[in-house]
Amino acid sequence: MKLFIRERIGPRCIIKEDGQKIYDAIYGALRSGEMVTLDFEGVNQFASPFFNFAIGQLLKDIAEADLRRLLQIEHLNETGRLTVERVMENAAKYYGDKDYRKILDDILEQQSKESD
Amino acid sequence: MSRKIVRIPRINDERDDFETLFSIWDQTNDYFEDVRFDFSACDFLRPNAVAFLGGLTRLIESRMGNVEFDWDSLRDKRVMANIRQNGFAGFFGYPTSTWTGNSIPYREDKTRDVGGIMDYLEQHWLGRGWVRVSRRLRDAIAGHMWEIYNNAFEHSGSEIGFFSCGQHFPGTYGTEESLVLSVIDFGQGIPAKIRNFFRQYADEEQVVKLTGASCLRWAFQAGNSTKVGEPAGSGLDLLRDFVRLNQGKLEIYSNDGYAIVDKDGDRYENRELAFEGTVVHITLRCNEKLYRFRDEAE
Repeated sequence: MKLFIRERIGPRCIIKEDGQKIYDAIYGALRSGEMVTLDFEGVNQFASPFFNFAIGQLLKDIAEADLRRLLQIEHLNETGRLTVERVMENAAKYYGDKDYRKILDDILEQQSKESD
Repeated sequence: MSRKIVRIPRINDERDDFETLFSIWDQTNDYFEDVRFDFSACDFLRPNAVAFLGGLTRLIESRMGNVEFDWDSLRDKRVMANIRQNGFAGFFGYPTSTWTGNSIPYREDKTRDVGGIMDYLEQHWLGRGWVRVSRRLRDAIAGHMWEIYNNAFEHSGSEIGFFSCGQHFPGTYGTEESLVLSVIDFGQGIPAKIRNFFRQYADEEQVVKLTGASCLRWAFQAGNSTKVGEPAGSGLDLLRDFVRLNQGKLEIYSNDGYAIVDKDGDRYENRELAFEGTVVHITLRCNEKLYRFRDEAE
């Protein structure tokens, strides 16, 4: 399966609604183990909300190693590559188990050290 | 009811100047408040002040108050020329038209107008020939600036929208050419949102100990987000990397917190007067050598 992003979204991939459209188009194929290619030829503006929804939320159900094997990305410029890499790193953290009570304790401990 | 007269002094974009703006907000923060802005002591007004006063006016109006701009009190010709040029005076009743110069228009966004904001960034902020960089670099900068607007729209909960204004500083007398943009909302603020988020997981007694500085530090850390059920938390992180690369400056004032990212790193501080809202103030240097991509020739 290959999607030409410029045809579906246009030259700007910056908002979450457009990211959701791509997610909806590729989720089923990836879940069934199919290879998917996203071609970004002609797309020149990128921001994290688009990739959070298009790719980041895939990590909720698909292991990062599987996603990296199944999802091919072509013609993505350097800004887009940096953004998608950061989004994947952050999404992996986001979907990991988090103990927010412990996180708050850690923040308060750091605060207390700084005020000493 | 009598009209409260608020004197607008000289306002630059240093820490004290922002505190002056928050003090003005504090003076006008009641319902049914009628206010007159007096400019007789104002001989300098930076775009951060323009965006702030515009947003504050809409806030007062949303609280059933009335705002009058005493244009006759503004005797400084340079300030008047600047706010006519950037459209601010025209927005608030002064009969004038805008023209192009070094100013970047004052803008109000009540809804997320993606096309309008991107056109503003590309055509008014970057596209006037003063940032001499390649097309793809221009696109990269616009994408990073979009993160600021997207954050305001996604997180602020501001019912009156958000307000922006910028300026191009040509770089004379030894100063470096730079671009400035301020985006301001009068929503709940980042620390308030983070404290509310932690209330789901921890006791109030613990949550109230969180300082504004700690909240902003947490917001800047990669992968942290108050969004539930959807991945987020990359916007500020990416913006910080970009500002560092550019050797620019990013400042955020939100509630009782202050964050700054510049050549010396990141610092987070507490502020005394808790402002209900968020100010993002960014300064980029117009030096194309700072913006090179890895695969561009040296």
